[in-house]
Amino acid sequence: MGIIPDFLLDYISVNTYWTILFIAHGLLAVALLGALSHQAMSVLMPVRQVAGSASFVTRFRSVRGAGYATAVCVLWIVTFLFGAWIYTKYRIYVRIPIEQAGYWKTQGVFEMKEHLVTIGLGLLPIYWYFWKNARNPEFDSPRKWLTVTLAAICWYSFLVGHVVNNVRGFGS
Amino acid sequence: MSTTVQAPATTAASLATSATFRTFATVFAIATPIIYTACEMQNWPLFTYHPGSNRIDLGWAPAVKDEGPAMYWYGWTATTLIGAGILGMLATMLPERMVRSIPLSLVWIVPLAMIPILIYALRFFWRW
Repeated sequence: MGIIPDFLLDYISVNTYWTILFIAHGLLAVALLGALSHQAMSVLMPVRQVAGSASFVTRFRSVRGAGYATAVCVLWIVTFLFGAWIYTKYRIYVRIPIEQAGYWKTQGVFEMKEHLVTIGLGLLPIYWYFWKNARNPEFDSPRKWLTVTLAAICWYSFLVGHVVNNVRGFGS
Repeated sequence: MSTTVQAPATTAASLATSATFRTFATVFAIATPIIYTACEMQNWPLFTYHPGSNRIDLGWAPAVKDEGPAMYWYGWTATTLIGAGILGMLATMLPERMVRSIPLSLVWIVPLAMIPILIYALRFFWRW
């Protein structure tokens, strides 16, 4: 079940198709997580001046956040679309067994993930605008906290996705 | 006559300096969490997707017997994006003075404020 373009099934099996889609979703999420983590650290602990050799943490937070904005928006949207696609399969082959096993809280935190990533989608236009106007001091505070909010949503979603995969993902 | 050729501004660059886009994006960001939370709590999907049969019904529809579950999240998302988009576009027609009075901090405070409400809405799952 779920949406699969028919012509693909001439070349790969159904299981291979969903596996590729799921791994791509996971890899995109890793890239998004990395970009947002760098950016969030750069606004929470900005580097004023580096004297001598910089530590790993200093290098981690000393990125130019504005350069990540468009990539974060694109990654969020593409990861969201891949997740929405996989969700058709999840609803039947993952959620129903999770409910039958009585893992209600696992299902609940996953529901929360889908709510938060949709809300995050709506925040992307203003997030992008704030970062494209990074020199405007009027946007400093909202840009900082909006970036931290998106990073927190991304971390939550990534960890919940990982947990749900452990409950009933590959090999189950 | 100047021989300097000025490169045309890209769409992205013009969006980044557009007051209209700023207004749209601000209202869109504030409206999205509110509309989505309302859609979730009141169950207002624009459409219902039945993954077992790949069928789509307009609005809310119950699960069909022997055809698997019904999915509403796609419909809630569509309602939210369209609703927030309409509000964002309407806001661009407001006077600049009125739009500038909207606190920009609402773009991150409103989403955070919706989280406890959404956790409450999911109370069915918090069983011990």
